[in-house]
Amino acid sequence: MRVHVELNGVPQYLDVAPGEPLLSLLRRVGLKSVKEGCDAGDCGACTVLVDGRAVRSCLMVAPQVQGRKVTTLEGLGTVDDLHPLQEAFLETGAVQCGFCTPGMILVAHELLSRNGDPTADEVRAAISGNLCRCTGYVKIVDAILLAARWKREGKWR
Amino acid sequence: MRPSKVRRFHFARDVEEALSLLAAYDGRGSLLAGGVDLLRSPPASLEGLISITRIGLSYVNETRGAPAIGATTTLTDILERERARTYAGGVLREMLGQVAVPPLRNMATLGGAVVSAHPWADIPTALVALGAEARWQADREEQAPMEDLYGGAFRGIFRRAVLVEVVFPPWDGAFAYEKVSRTRYDIALLNACCGVGLDDGVIAWARVAVGATPDRGERLPWAEEALVGEKPGEKRWKEIRALVEGQIEVGDDRRASGAWRRSVAGVLVARALSRASARAAR
Repeated sequence: MRVHVELNGVPQYLDVAPGEPLLSLLRRVGLKSVKEGCDAGDCGACTVLVDGRAVRSCLMVAPQVQGRKVTTLEGLGTVDDLHPLQEAFLETGAVQCGFCTPGMILVAHELLSRNGDPTADEVRAAISGNLCRCTGYVKIVDAILLAARWKREGKWR
Repeated sequence: MRPSKVRRFHFARDVEEALSLLAAYDGRGSLLAGGVDLLRSPPASLEGLISITRIGLSYVNETRGAPAIGATTTLTDILERERARTYAGGVLREMLGQVAVPPLRNMATLGGAVVSAHPWADIPTALVALGAEARWQADREEQAPMEDLYGGAFRGIFRRAVLVEVVFPPWDGAFAYEKVSRTRYDIALLNACCGVGLDDGVIAWARVAVGATPDRGERLPWAEEALVGEKPGEKRWKEIRALVEGQIEVGDDRRASGAWRRSVAGVLVARALSRASARAAR
């Protein structure tokens, strides 16, 4: 079947199998920031934004995004033009192996779109469903708070 | 790629079409809203998915001064609606804020939680305590208290019906929710939802439900009866704690022992009653 989706800002038609996980579709079309971790909705590595909300792409089938906006990390920034959240993760050393980073950044993106001045506890709550086995989370929280500060200072494009 | 046997995906246009498609699949099709439970472990026989996310069942309305919440409303959307947030002393906000992590709350729907009704889940315990009713459409429209449905063969009903909404009654008083789990958002090892109404400083009515015992949440009518006509306060909460510890039926499972649940149940009920009473007195 064919679905129409706005994928990282680009409207397009995609051929999908009715039971194809959204995670599989996104990786099939080259969006490799979307990672397969637990495949059960527990780890957050496959997080993407659907209509601005963070969701688990391993727990959705591709047809569910018919007519909706899907954003992956590739839709936020590029190597040559990083998103402020990506800059903040680099600035604070919040990236180690990097497997969890796309999901962390997308969850943070949703948080900051609704709450421009979160507390550290609110950041911890927002990322509570995204597992990182490297950093211990402290620098990730620092990164999101830094990005929030930059946003309040008008440094986001 | 777990739901690999799925051959067709449908967006139902209304309840009638959803029911018609469901019947046509003869047990090999499933309604789909958030998909959190269904797509995590789909049945091996699943061939058709019928999305009901576009048939107008995502809403929080108000009837008789209390919310009526559409079946496909996500937990996040409920948490953001003032009508739901403030209902019965804010118990829905308190309870839903502890259900799963934020991205799963963005996906999971109230209807999905009602139909899945895991014994360890937070939502069924609260719905039973609150006296919520389910309204569904099958051959005809029907409505029944969640407490009665969970006491019977509710899974058979929802295999051939569309849950339309959950209707909450108005309460002149307040509720509070308590749970113990490994983390704030984890599944409950034990949970409790209690409500109190006060009349001239005396408990006029009480609702007490305990879940994850390890069975699904059920009311404790003997505990409710023991509270009515009494004055709220620490002495009363200590008495009810002892009563619950002595009389509640609990069991063992891989998550917790019955002995642990028995001792914790009294504490959770006492805490929930104390907080509900304070809210009701405001």
